[in-house]
Amino acid sequence: MSELNKLGLGAARDALRAGEITSVDLTKACLEAIEGAGALNAFVHKTPEVALERAKAADERLQAGDAPDMCGLPIGIKDLFCTKGVPSQAGSRILQGFLPEYESTVSQNLQDAGAVMLGKLNMDEFAMGSSNETSTYGDVTSPWRRGNDDAALTPGGSSGGSAAAVSADLCLAATGTDTGGSIRLPASANGVVGLKTTAGLVSRYGIMPVSYTMDTVGPLTRTVEDCARITGVIAGRDENDPTTSTRPVPDYEAALAQGIKGLKIGIPRNYYYDIATDEIRALMDDSLSVLRDLGAELIHVDLPDMERITHLSNVTFVCEAAAVHEPWMRERPDDYQEQVRSRYEPGLHLPATAYIQALDARPRALKSFVDQVFSKVDLLHVPGVPFAIPTRAETNVAASSQMPTMIATISWCTRATNYLGIPAISIPCGFTANGLPTTFQLTGRPFAEETLMAAGHAYQGATDWHTRAPGI
Amino acid sequence: MTSVTPQRLKRRQDVVTDGNQQAKILSNAPDAREGFFAVPKVVE
Repeated sequence: MSELNKLGLGAARDALRAGEITSVDLTKACLEAIEGAGALNAFVHKTPEVALERAKAADERLQAGDAPDMCGLPIGIKDLFCTKGVPSQAGSRILQGFLPEYESTVSQNLQDAGAVMLGKLNMDEFAMGSSNETSTYGDVTSPWRRGNDDAALTPGGSSGGSAAAVSADLCLAATGTDTGGSIRLPASANGVVGLKTTAGLVSRYGIMPVSYTMDTVGPLTRTVEDCARITGVIAGRDENDPTTSTRPVPDYEAALAQGIKGLKIGIPRNYYYDIATDEIRALMDDSLSVLRDLGAELIHVDLPDMERITHLSNVTFVCEAAAVHEPWMRERPDDYQEQVRSRYEPGLHLPATAYIQALDARPRALKSFVDQVFSKVDLLHVPGVPFAIPTRAETNVAASSQMPTMIATISWCTRATNYLGIPAISIPCGFTANGLPTTFQLTGRPFAEETLMAAGHAYQGATDWHTRAPGI
Repeated sequence: MTSVTPQRLKRRQDVVTDGNQQAKILSNAPDAREGFFAVPKVVE
């Protein structure tokens, strides 16, 4: 079998269990792909020794017939996650030299399920960015290009290394975190599936906080099927994160069979398309036609005041982030990237009343959103990113006066979700005229991940966008 | 989220579950001596 690194989690798991391939060979194929993809700058701490050691152990377990769900499957871990004895810097200069003495719950769960860690993935400094150009390790470059134009493109952020690595087949899946779109934006820019989980579904223990009431963890994968496989492994109650739900973890893979027939899917009348380009509107309409042909009922819905919800999301974000970083910002201001520091700073000047009001309004905002939207429909369909992915030059804060607007608008369709705590999945749905991937999002009620994935899986059964690979 | 989905708050025994990790805790300190964090003198 050639190009083992291009196998999905399911195909690789079946081949491993059938004894057709070994985890060591699979891991070596990924390590080789990583070596060949230095230009992407996706993997920043490579751990080939750890990977091969775990792959050997996985092969022994497979031979013994004791193979858990992720046994022998090579994955990448975002640098925001603490991994025992392996640098975990959150893409920052400040945490240089930090070697955690403990493992994040998510990476521990993956390891316990037999997964093989290939290394740590690049990201925006402290997950405070949407374009992956604030990392102390240097920029991540998207594996995609505009047609024949060679200009480097942003991979989106902050989980840009994770999405680029999955898109370029350097690993079978990767972990990400999402506080305002940090999984869904790079999923969109790289044409992969990204799941922002319901607040409380996945433990944040051992993960550097960004905005602790809005931080969520989720996977980046090539297919919804793979997303379901890995979500079941990382989700669930964790004694070390008291905010995790005690709700039993469903069998997401089995739930894929629920399909989409009869599901009511909402199309927003307000907010989400306000700044969308005509091209993105057309792509969204195409994806809705596919969903309708698969048996979904499309219903237009009015949303509550989303600009206010997005504003409250921003207030929560900057205040919590500033609270986390205030001591370092005072003592080591020059060790922050300027763009990152300038995003925290407003949080130092907002009055406590603004933050308290933002938290106070939150349950009512969720209630009004659920009442207005999810009393009428099962899922809401919205764009991933409202425009085509920009180039590096266009997202460079020093070179482009457009940058502040770009940051505000690239996450136009993602920020509100984190304030509301609801789940959302990004699914590739075609290409813009200049050849760049784009996604739609499906959002649902809290803990509706099964429905999200069942609908997304049905969509991928009818389309082949997720099988398109970048040219480089 | 407790108001949206029915769930009972998790409880645990009121006992010590963690501790005795002095070496681990000090391992990333810029300076540690005799089992303590060492910091510059602030009072002359």
